[in-house]
Amino acid sequence: MTVARSHTERAVPHHVGLPAAAGTPGRWTMDPRTAVALLLAASITIMAPGGLWFVPAALVVGVLLAVTERAWRRAVVIPVAALAAAAANYLLPLAAPWPVLGIVAITAGFVLRLIAIGGIAAHLARTVSPTRLTAALRAARVPSAFTVSGAVLLRFMPTIIAETAAVWDAMRLRGLGGVGGMLRHPLLAIEYFTVPLMASSLRSAEDLSASALLRGLGARKRPTAMHPPRFGRADLAVVAVVAVLIATTVVWRGAL
Amino acid sequence: MIELTGVRWTYQGGDVAVLDGLDLRVERGETVVLCGPSGSGKSSALRLMNGLIPLFHEGKLEGEVRVDGAPITDLALVGQVTGTVLQHPRRQFFTDAIDTELAFALENFGAPSERIRRRVAEVTAEFGLDELTGRLRELSGGQQQRVACAAAITHGPPILLFDEPTSNLSARAVDDFTRVLSHLRDLGMTLVIAEHRLHYLRDLADRIVILHGGRVTRQWTRPEIAKLTDETMRAEGLRGLRAPVRAAVATAAARGPSIETADAGPTDAVAGADSGVALRGVQCGFRGRRVLDIEEAHLPAGRITAVTGPNGAGKSTLARVLAGLQRHRGNVLLDGRARSRAQRQRETAIVMQDVQRQLFTDSVDAELRLGMTPEQADHAARVLADLDLDHCGDRHPLSLSGGQQQRLVVATARLSGRRVVIFDEPSSGVDRRHLRSMTRTMRDVATGGAVVVLISHDADLLDLAADQELRLRPLS
Repeated sequence: MTVARSHTERAVPHHVGLPAAAGTPGRWTMDPRTAVALLLAASITIMAPGGLWFVPAALVVGVLLAVTERAWRRAVVIPVAALAAAAANYLLPLAAPWPVLGIVAITAGFVLRLIAIGGIAAHLARTVSPTRLTAALRAARVPSAFTVSGAVLLRFMPTIIAETAAVWDAMRLRGLGGVGGMLRHPLLAIEYFTVPLMASSLRSAEDLSASALLRGLGARKRPTAMHPPRFGRADLAVVAVVAVLIATTVVWRGAL
Repeated sequence: MIELTGVRWTYQGGDVAVLDGLDLRVERGETVVLCGPSGSGKSSALRLMNGLIPLFHEGKLEGEVRVDGAPITDLALVGQVTGTVLQHPRRQFFTDAIDTELAFALENFGAPSERIRRRVAEVTAEFGLDELTGRLRELSGGQQQRVACAAAITHGPPILLFDEPTSNLSARAVDDFTRVLSHLRDLGMTLVIAEHRLHYLRDLADRIVILHGGRVTRQWTRPEIAKLTDETMRAEGLRGLRAPVRAAVATAAARGPSIETADAGPTDAVAGADSGVALRGVQCGFRGRRVLDIEEAHLPAGRITAVTGPNGAGKSTLARVLAGLQRHRGNVLLDGRARSRAQRQRETAIVMQDVQRQLFTDSVDAELRLGMTPEQADHAARVLADLDLDHCGDRHPLSLSGGQQQRLVVATARLSGRRVVIFDEPSSGVDRRHLRSMTRTMRDVATGGAVVVLISHDADLLDLAADQELRLRPLS
């Protein structure tokens, strides 16, 4: 059976144009595959031994990405937070030889790495919708077992969060919530929380999965995309900037 | 187009056949309305037509089902000839933007990109979606339903199935939806609509099919529909075929930017409210955006106050403020004394829209006893009988039907003896008989001296229950 071309298709006048409230990317948006590759590369490099050398480069990338999406607050927060973490990491052990300060300094070192990766991750989360990410992963030939379950997971997260808040409200109104109640009867409190959460989440999940399956999610045919992901100028610019930053880091490291 | 012959269906774990001897034939281009009391098998009949029974829901199926001339063997295949619109459009959206939602089915069915873009643009223009802005979850209920209809037809199925599509829509949104249906009907599509609200379908339906106990007990053709009287509808337990004409209801004493002032009554009654709930300078916002601003309002004890207004007017926010679940500025007074949020949480009960969130225990009896005093629990049997639940005491709440679960939560709210009881859209998916029992329960709670707040779009229910109306408007 092929996708039926019904009377509704013939009845409407031909009209081409993009609708309002579109989830489509602009011309200068990075391809999600580039964004995912960048995030993976940054995470592996920075978390590996000697990764601290690459933190400044990742921070610069994070700030530049924040600027391109006009997230001014993030563009300021990333370097300020990184400076604070770096100061704690390098200066605290010099202030006094106390073990506590040493532990804080080591923790600050990890936080510094996380900030550097977090800047890039935040850009990915803010600019790539689950739909585009799924389309990109399909284009990258990732098996459908991963793309379908990943798409469902991303779609269902906000539902779980909303249901959790609603169940918590319902518990408070029945006098079952609150810290006191949880401490007095911890097992009962867990039961009162999880049973309605699972029931209401399952109900939402049933509607969602029924609707998605009827609209062909996971069908045997190879899915297509309304806007197939394409590498463009933005990706080229990102690759160029990252190459320059890596080269600078290597030269700087060699010079010291 | 659709043929159901001698169908008998029992859900896995169920004792009773939900469909039992169902015979129904729907012709190409026909508009058929399925109605009947809650639990009569309307939704299950739709699930047969789109293959969810037996390919998604498990159980025992006998009889024959043919859609578009062929038996159903694969969900994706039947999905290409049918489009389905559910009661809660928000739950069936898979993406967060209009164009990606419209494209979803075509992408999964492997249509070429160029054709997807052209088709999405066509349907967007056809349904007037260009004027909508923002994310799907930020649209009003009526707008979401319009997008859900558009998403169901973008891949060009000749059959459209609707499961109680207006149960969460306001009167104006129902009018919009009626125009969409009329348009689809004019295009020659086959429409099957399971519904309780029937007035908007009077001029659209080619046939009304009544189900009882999982089989067709009666059918009315178009000339017969035109002659139907309200007495006939009542005898069948169905809601009326005429749009309910709301009798003039007193306007609640209130003022402030969130209050619709067009038909506001005297506001000096706000002062001196020493019985019931009074709001003074209540303001609420999310992420810097003001959503509720009421200078003064009075919700008297012993009466049912209907809170109405379009989506986004702050109805749910007001309910959360009253229940002490929402941070806000200003004061909320109960019987003349300001109460903290924690105090209000102990004084308030809510019947939520999704009642599964409020069922905590493993039996109906345990659910009623939870948090009750022995005196309150003494009334349990009477309340259960009144709400048609007297035979369910030992059953697990989650094994009850949706309507029964809702009535169970209503029973707990009634027994709780709280001073403020809020009903949030309690009539979605409710037939005529239970609409009346729901109204009786609210009346009993009010007569017991509680402040009863009813949030609803349902004109039938508002007409039966509301003593006064607090109409809210969105803050721009």
